[in-house]
Amino acid sequence: MDGMAASALAIALVGLGFWTLLRRRNVIWKLLGLNVAAGGAILFLVAIAHRPQARPPILGLGPGQSADPLPHALVLTAIVIHFATLALSLVYVIFLTERRHSQDVHKLEEER
Amino acid sequence: MIYAVGGVVIYLVLGAGGFLVRPRWLPGTLALLAGVASLALWAPGFSEGVLGGGRWGISVAGDSLALGMWALALVIHGAVLLHERTRPGPFHPLLTLLVGTCLAAALSRDLFNLYVTLELASLVSFLLVGYEGKPRAVWASLQYLILATVGMTLYLLGVGLVYGKLGTLSLSAIAALGPRLSDPAVGIGAGLLVAGAAIKSGVFLFGLWLPPAHGYAPTTVSVVLSAVVVKMGAVTLARLTEALPVGPALVVLGILTGFGGLLYALWERDLKVFLAFSTVSQLGYMLLGFGLGGGAAFGAMLYAVAHGLFKGLLFLAAGEAVERVGRREIARLAGQLSVPVALALAVGTWAIVGLPPLAGFAAKGILAQDAPNWAKAVLFSLEVGTAASFAKLVPLFRPQGTSPIGGLGFLAAAVVALGVGGLLVVPGLFSLWAWGEAFLAAGIGWGLYLGLRTLRPILPRFTFDRALGSLFVGAVVATGILLLW
Repeated sequence: MDGMAASALAIALVGLGFWTLLRRRNVIWKLLGLNVAAGGAILFLVAIAHRPQARPPILGLGPGQSADPLPHALVLTAIVIHFATLALSLVYVIFLTERRHSQDVHKLEEER
Repeated sequence: MIYAVGGVVIYLVLGAGGFLVRPRWLPGTLALLAGVASLALWAPGFSEGVLGGGRWGISVAGDSLALGMWALALVIHGAVLLHERTRPGPFHPLLTLLVGTCLAAALSRDLFNLYVTLELASLVSFLLVGYEGKPRAVWASLQYLILATVGMTLYLLGVGLVYGKLGTLSLSAIAALGPRLSDPAVGIGAGLLVAGAAIKSGVFLFGLWLPPAHGYAPTTVSVVLSAVVVKMGAVTLARLTEALPVGPALVVLGILTGFGGLLYALWERDLKVFLAFSTVSQLGYMLLGFGLGGGAAFGAMLYAVAHGLFKGLLFLAAGEAVERVGRREIARLAGQLSVPVALALAVGTWAIVGLPPLAGFAAKGILAQDAPNWAKAVLFSLEVGTAASFAKLVPLFRPQGTSPIGGLGFLAAAVVALGVGGLLVVPGLFSLWAWGEAFLAAGIGWGLYLGLRTLRPILPRFTFDRALGSLFVGAVVATGILLLW
């Protein structure tokens, strides 16, 4: 896939994720939307690294131009951080479901 | 540079290792000592160096902003350690990790490294806010988590755009390229970076996770969040002005958050949520100063340190009061506070209103000295508003009974020391004019309080969905303005 198409797909994913985050009332749907958006941001960084006719930036893969390795390193870090954040947020959702018996944002907002 | 980075590494290792060691407070105390030693070794600062070397290294530098943030973080960590020395469980290791991450963020001069340190600090903050397992605090923490992650996703997109166009992540290398916001990739990237950092630091309309998260967090967690973690967002915004020409955007954000937070603080009745809205408002001083740059940026750094100290003191006293009495409304707490708590609350209020000779007066004075006249007027009206919003705490200063002092005395001493030190070192603060102006602002504020007391305006409540909506609208507007500037 070439860089422009990947960038367009990434931006579409971010938009789709944020739309779900805004429109759904269920917390789990919101978290899913957030993760689609984060995935879009990560894909965008990969698209930035793209060079025409480049090979993957791995040592020993032969001569020729490679893709920019720095965004790939950033992407690894970002994936780990998003994984940790998602895991923690799901723990909190489990906790709230047990205590408040709801995953609906409007019910969770009510003062208790 | 080696000392500063070493200090950060020791902090993080002792924080992570603290989960295995008993007593719990020991690794945190060792880390604090190592941090103080490291600060003393690199103290006057060091110029920019590259960690790891080469094109892909991470730039770090120890300027006055980093120096101030280190001092603030170490003092607050010391006060919290003193206050919570007997607390069991993972509290102390998490706190050490959080402070270590903030120390790293203060040194960083790299767009992506700032992202990583901010995300790590947020992750530990989410854990600490929900730490006591109260449903309301957990819900506040989940809101914080979702809104902050949205902010950091926007920030990451901004990093991608700026890197794709300019090919570097180092702030000084970007500044050397002389980027122009009229270039769409740089303009949109800068807008997303500013919006992301604004969400993370809790700017009004961008980061409305802040009032519930700071208001419902456990006592000492509110102290650390308000005193140190919020400042890291402001530091990130200040760093962005070093690389990209986004100073005017910071000024606009500062005015927005200064008056927006104030509007809500004026009529808030819950003591801790009121202090949290006041933090939103006080961010205005810092962003205004960082946006103006030059001498005002130094004043803003001092104000960030001073605000960290007295807001930490206020949150510590307020948390103690709320826990002891079991009520959160300001009116219900009147006359129920113990002597040390009421005294600490009074010292904090005196400082935040900006009356001499405490830290608030010195920092506000230095911030205003180099500001243009219109900014002085904005700062003066913010000061009046702060006085008006804090006037409702006066009934709380009638104490009854005693309680242990804990970290209150330490923080109060720091507030006094910074204030008196600032007065002695900086010329021009000992003038009758400056003192008169401070008391005049407090007096007008008191009058405003008496006038507004009978009003009960119905301000729109910021539910979670509204906070999300205002965040996206804010991000789009900020990006659009920066692009079209």
